[in-house]
Amino acid sequence: MKEQVNILFSPDLKEASMIVCWKEDPGKLGSLVSRVLIDHLKARIFGEVNPEHFFTLGGVIVEDNVAQFPISRFYAGESRDIVVFESNQPQIERYHFLSCLLDTGEYYCQIKEIYALGGIITPIAHTSPRRLMVVYNQPELRNKLRQFELAEVNWEGPPAVNSYLSWLAQRRNMPAISIWAEVAFYLASSSDWTAVKSVLSFLDHRFGLGLDFSGIDRQLKLHNEQLARLREQNPEVDRYIRTLEVGLSLTEEEQLSLTSSVSDFLG
Amino acid sequence: MSIRIYQEPYLRNPDLICGWPGIGRIGILAVDYLRRAIAATEFAEIESWEFFEPRKVVIQEGLLKRLEFPENKFYYRKFDDRDILIFIGEEQPAGAGNLYGAGEKAYRLANLVLDVAEKFGCHRVYTSGAAVTQIHHLLKPRVWAVPNDSEMIAEIRDYENTVLMSDIEGRKGQGMITGLNGLLLGVARKRGIRALCLMGEIPYYLQASPWLYPAASISVLEVLTRMLQIEIDLVPLHEMAKKVNESIEEFLTNLYESNRIPPQIRAQIRDSIEKMKSIRQSTGPITEEDRRLIMEHIDELFKKGEKGDERTS
Repeated sequence: MKEQVNILFSPDLKEASMIVCWKEDPGKLGSLVSRVLIDHLKARIFGEVNPEHFFTLGGVIVEDNVAQFPISRFYAGESRDIVVFESNQPQIERYHFLSCLLDTGEYYCQIKEIYALGGIITPIAHTSPRRLMVVYNQPELRNKLRQFELAEVNWEGPPAVNSYLSWLAQRRNMPAISIWAEVAFYLASSSDWTAVKSVLSFLDHRFGLGLDFSGIDRQLKLHNEQLARLREQNPEVDRYIRTLEVGLSLTEEEQLSLTSSVSDFLG
Repeated sequence: MSIRIYQEPYLRNPDLICGWPGIGRIGILAVDYLRRAIAATEFAEIESWEFFEPRKVVIQEGLLKRLEFPENKFYYRKFDDRDILIFIGEEQPAGAGNLYGAGEKAYRLANLVLDVAEKFGCHRVYTSGAAVTQIHHLLKPRVWAVPNDSEMIAEIRDYENTVLMSDIEGRKGQGMITGLNGLLLGVARKRGIRALCLMGEIPYYLQASPWLYPAASISVLEVLTRMLQIEIDLVPLHEMAKKVNESIEEFLTNLYESNRIPPQIRAQIRDSIEKMKSIRQSTGPITEEDRRLIMEHIDELFKKGEKGDERTS
């Protein structure tokens, strides 16, 4: 592990909870949630996974005109026993990457549980409430989170990285919970602030964080105003969104057209 | 990374027979058919997660039930004086550049398989795969045999329908066995274990097809069972081969009539494939250009799609 994770200092944590956020999430869910948490917790980087073992590094991806580079960092807050792991999803050697994540959590933070966050692309309107869905890796966790309105996932098929992480944690007898937020499909490549707020509200209640939502509410208002403007300007977009709002579905062609119009408008 | 042995059978002079997926699934079909035919018992496995990506998750009512990986299992069957061990791997580990059965993981897996072979005193290891060649699908495939010890050559020459690399026109005893079938032979040689790869011939125009190619698996099993001195019923496999041949015939008929390919090229493809009914080896009237033409158009018709994970609803 030493070769794969660069530890800057050992945080003073006891039985911490680790919140795992992936940068590739639809609606920028992972990136936005992790930013809010890191700022609120005044968290500092205490460790970083070395990318050469887990990313192909055959050049860089350019996003919003800026060259990106895979980053996988552990943050620890000053006042709470919470670790935030913010990362790109590994491209190779996922088993070793996720094992490093768990090893670091166990040895340096004595983590007692993991919350892995993710977005599920869903055919809903951006004005609809977002359901949060849950996957537990131990049946006892269901009681622990009974107070929250979480829909239980049923799925058989290819696993997402959060399921792989939960399974590895299960093998170590470590509780892990995947929280999946619905993301409106046409906001998957931009920001879905409603989904971000749903996840942050859950974390706020779960950990008693006392988050200040005013900044997020401002972003959400701005975002909704932009989309309302687009609906006024483009009757087709308005018709598609109204169709979704009354619970009807769009054809594949209509979905593509709506996604393209929204992406072009939001930039 | 470990080998899990659930029970330790006492085995006498066992041979190990290994099967992995590959072209036409010739090797794995032969080995898996043998496993069923002799009712071999599962007794060990190599844990998969360090070698392979999980391929399926099962989540029921919010609870993660299991994650499924390609399996790597060992089986045994006792006989009167010579027992059999079987290893079946559902996938070959991918190495750098996504080459299957190559790289560090494949090397480690090959060594783990041989660790079990040594533990149970195996005196010979067999692998099985495909020999891609210019053969028509209605001709009986031969078996190309490659040992890792020159002392086995004389024995191989005694078996019917079996050829050595050196006996194949134009090859001068040279060749290449890709993937774990070849790697295992090499690693076994390094460890001083005798090993032999049996490859069933498959027409090159079917190498990218989605079908099994049981005709070649039958040829492999005919040779392998003689070497192992056992008898198994191959009738169900012959029936499967007959059905696959019918599908190939139907596919080729459609190809010859496809509007997506210009008539002149269709006629050329048909001629090239039909010529192979009467020839066997690479230096015949099939040119490299014919070969390229056939592959280009057949590959296009064999293309498949992909599937997402639980993030796509």
